[in-house]
Amino acid sequence: MSDDRLIIYEEQIDKINQALQKLIKGAEAKCALLVDKDGYLITRQGFTHTLDTTALAALLAGSFASTKEIARLVGEPEFSVLFHQGKRDHIHLTLVGERTILAVIFDDRTTIGMVRLYAKEIGESIVSILSLTKESKEEENLSLGSEFTQSAENKLDDIFKD
Amino acid sequence: MVSINYAFKEISCKIVYYGPGLSGKTTNLQYVHRKIPKSSKGELISLATDADRTLYFDFLPLNLGEIHGFATKFQLYTVPGQVFYNATRKLVLRGVDGLVFVADSQRSKTDENIESLNNLIENLKEYGYVLEDLPMVFQYNKRDLPDVSEIEELEKALNPRKLTYFGAVAIKGDGVFDTLKCVTKKVLDKAKGKTPITRKEKIYPEMVEKKKELKTFEEKEKVPITVGFEKAEAYKEYQPKSDKAVVMEASPKRETQVQQMNIEKPKEKTKKLAKSIPEDKKPSFEREKIIVAKVEKTGKFSFLRWIKNILNI
Repeated sequence: MSDDRLIIYEEQIDKINQALQKLIKGAEAKCALLVDKDGYLITRQGFTHTLDTTALAALLAGSFASTKEIARLVGEPEFSVLFHQGKRDHIHLTLVGERTILAVIFDDRTTIGMVRLYAKEIGESIVSILSLTKESKEEENLSLGSEFTQSAENKLDDIFKD
Repeated sequence: MVSINYAFKEISCKIVYYGPGLSGKTTNLQYVHRKIPKSSKGELISLATDADRTLYFDFLPLNLGEIHGFATKFQLYTVPGQVFYNATRKLVLRGVDGLVFVADSQRSKTDENIESLNNLIENLKEYGYVLEDLPMVFQYNKRDLPDVSEIEELEKALNPRKLTYFGAVAIKGDGVFDTLKCVTKKVLDKAKGKTPITRKEKIYPEMVEKKKELKTFEEKEKVPITVGFEKAEAYKEYQPKSDKAVVMEASPKRETQVQQMNIEKPKEKTKKLAKSIPEDKKPSFEREKIIVAKVEKTGKFSFLRWIKNILNI
């Protein structure tokens, strides 16, 4: 199971952020989020200050997971694109690689076609960024040390006191 | 499993509260949300039915703060406990790092507890996880109700591996933090590479006393509590509706919706008016305005087309 651990490195994020910036500029979107299928936010770009991105990431992953089950029930392996249309803002979700979801939030300044076009292109480049560093960094192991758990325990005691 | 983001210096762990319907999973989260300082928590999100039963999951992000340079975060999820929501229940388990099994201590719920535990093992299998590999804690909830099973009986039925367990009254908060603290420690130990399985017995003395009192009361009065009454009482106490945190979150959203509607109404009126006047009879500046508005709406591509049309290119 430790193979499943999602580890992201700084150079990876820098490249992904650049790609997302390109997407936002090109498609004239409001913001773009890269979310892990488990519900963790990997990175975000654009106008996200007013958004609760932690909750958004968890909910987007949840909605993607439920769509996957719907797909399975109708005999599809997976719906790779999801689109939520609102009055002003819309969300376009694309599956990127095996375990990440690219969410683009946009409004009427642009069109769904443009977002779809850029999301597909940028999605492919993100896949290559993720796989590249995965191979090169595979042998690196995380060592948190016993001090880490001790300080974590102290923090827990602080927060959980009645 | 545990997600580590070196760029943001973040470690995130996912803890799932599992258990049969109405065993108190959401109540656990609601108590944590109420009691934890604002700086350490996010919004509690509940995807529930109108009757406040969990439909998909409840979600509460916890922020432990910086530990050795890493912002350590926990994401607490609950599953829908009702049997027929298995499709969504399974989805919540994806990428789980630690489990809390919230069992209902009432004697009448023994079968439901066992069924839920078997369902957990089955659902984990579908993701290729093995229950034994995951850090897990048992919580025997509702210790304050009459006719609850003895801890030993519950242990025998649910916890053959002798994992850590806690007796709890989630609605009052007894045992909630102890359970959470224990599971977070176990998850962090696992992330570090160690998985010590230690047994820690802790039953609240107050609760034991209370149980004794109830027993003697029954003996004295010799009035057996009827099942229907007991269930009704249990449900009454268990109504999550009384929690203010949820209600308060819901109301501001509604207000904003109303505000939006109010703003949009006049717009619609002017549109209707504009439509009712025939194109030819409209004053020319009005027509220009409409064209410009249309162009602004459709974006730059049609704007180019419009210019091309005008210039006859």
